[in-house]
Amino acid sequence: MRESPLDWLPGFDKKFADLTHRMVKDLEKCMQCGKCTAQCPAAKLSSYNPRQIIRDLKMGNVEKVISSEELWLCFFCSGCYAVCPRDINFPFAIAMLRYAALAKGYGWEEVKKIKDPYAQDYYDTGLSVSPEEANLGLRGAIAKNSGTDGRIATIRKRMGLPAKRVVSEKALAEIRFLSDATGMTDLFKEIEKKKGLAKKWNYGSPADLVKIKRGPHQKFVDIDDERETKEGRPKTGKRE
Amino acid sequence: MPREEAVKKVQVSDRMFMFQPCVGNNKYPGIIAAAVHALPKLGVEPVTSDEQTCCGGFLTFTNVAQPTSTMPAVARNLCLAEEQNLDVVAFCNGCHTFLTEFSHFMNDRPPVKGVVNTILSMIGREYKGTSAIYHIVEILYKLKDRIAERVERPLTGFRLATHYGCHYLNGFKKTAIDDAFMPTVLEEILRACGGEVAEYSENRSCCGTGLTQVILHKEELSLPHTKRKLENLNDVKADAVVVQCPYCLAQLDRMSQKLNSRKAGEFHTPAIHVIQLVGLALGVEPRKLGFEAHAIPFDRFLKKFEKTPRGTGVHHQDTRARSEQQTEEVAA
Repeated sequence: MRESPLDWLPGFDKKFADLTHRMVKDLEKCMQCGKCTAQCPAAKLSSYNPRQIIRDLKMGNVEKVISSEELWLCFFCSGCYAVCPRDINFPFAIAMLRYAALAKGYGWEEVKKIKDPYAQDYYDTGLSVSPEEANLGLRGAIAKNSGTDGRIATIRKRMGLPAKRVVSEKALAEIRFLSDATGMTDLFKEIEKKKGLAKKWNYGSPADLVKIKRGPHQKFVDIDDERETKEGRPKTGKRE
Repeated sequence: MPREEAVKKVQVSDRMFMFQPCVGNNKYPGIIAAAVHALPKLGVEPVTSDEQTCCGGFLTFTNVAQPTSTMPAVARNLCLAEEQNLDVVAFCNGCHTFLTEFSHFMNDRPPVKGVVNTILSMIGREYKGTSAIYHIVEILYKLKDRIAERVERPLTGFRLATHYGCHYLNGFKKTAIDDAFMPTVLEEILRACGGEVAEYSENRSCCGTGLTQVILHKEELSLPHTKRKLENLNDVKADAVVVQCPYCLAQLDRMSQKLNSRKAGEFHTPAIHVIQLVGLALGVEPRKLGFEAHAIPFDRFLKKFEKTPRGTGVHHQDTRARSEQQTEEVAA
């Protein structure tokens, strides 16, 4: 069935440009060439399809997109933007659509997994990456390579750096103020407490909630070498 | 192929603000140490500040913090460089993208900049937008002739693969110093260090971190994607893969270790950040470059490095892309 430009949501381009603070312009110029999806790493491994998402938006199916599972599969690699003949900044569109999804109640489980520990580390230490290594298999590999206990503090000291990257008290006070004043702290609290809605559906199947299929190349021997503990500390061994 | 107009715009100063990457500090301190030891050998003094925090890019694009919150944080970080009249050098595709995008956003929209400055005034700061933001690959490429001249330990006989990552070349598809699909700047830098290029077909493939995918969908998306890239790297038997981003470094290095521990393959190509590579070539001692923090060991690499003859300068080294050389040969 041929679609007609009259099917497209009127004024969509203007509405979407405003929603994205004009960071995503030209979404309506998409000509559905599919180059984005052809090179997309997520599209190779799942039903994620950037071209289809734009098509749905232009048809006015915004609710469909923001309640989908696929919205959360984007790698943010910007390969789509790089190949797009219309220069549509699609990763920014995904980021903005994710905010829209959160506003409607979808995706709170995803952001919860990011908030702890990364966002909390930012507030507590000024850096969003912790020096602790919870993955003991990895720490063991580093310990073996370095002849140390595998902790980054030990390695830093051996290299002549201070054991810890210190962010000054003044800086911490400043970023905490900015976080409190701009609502970031409140958002962290909301992420902790909020129980979002289950996503409604998945483009890969008409039935809802089919999980991302594992292809033959995705089956590894699942040896659990990670031995993670809840506290991230080894089961035996001394404390520092 | 480099964009000459973009390369011309890169201004190297004798003092530059070194924006410390989080993954660099807390997972791969060799990147920080390499910058501190190597840049002075090229005539650039890296200036650091304990007041500098995480760029905030990761938090923003993973939707745990709104741009309205992280934009003032970016402005605050950039103030630290502005106060000292310094331009900023980022060592991470993510940091560079985030600082650049948001600084341009603020500079292009005076009302937004005004609001940000109202908030910043409460902590006694003002963002002017006067500092330029560079990626370390831009600085090193601009200085590649100086690198070639000052090399003390040329990486003769080393076959090195490259991995540019995504955000710098793709995100800045029109303004980056190189083309998103056929880049050559890392190749030219590694040739300036005396090495040879090991080409492989998955060269422009994403590392697989996928921003959140390594956390949210590691088994379904991130790991299979990275495995494919690592398998292709294995085919080419490179001595190391040169990257320009700590997240890419962490992904290629740590996922190799994870797959090895699951007996899902044999992945032993070590990953090295371009600043560590340049540091090695300029004569910084290997023990200062933090290779022991890497999960895939550098033993074989460093043993080979010990045996390579020392020398001064990489002379008569044609650092141009092979395609340029071929064009010349055909024309001749």
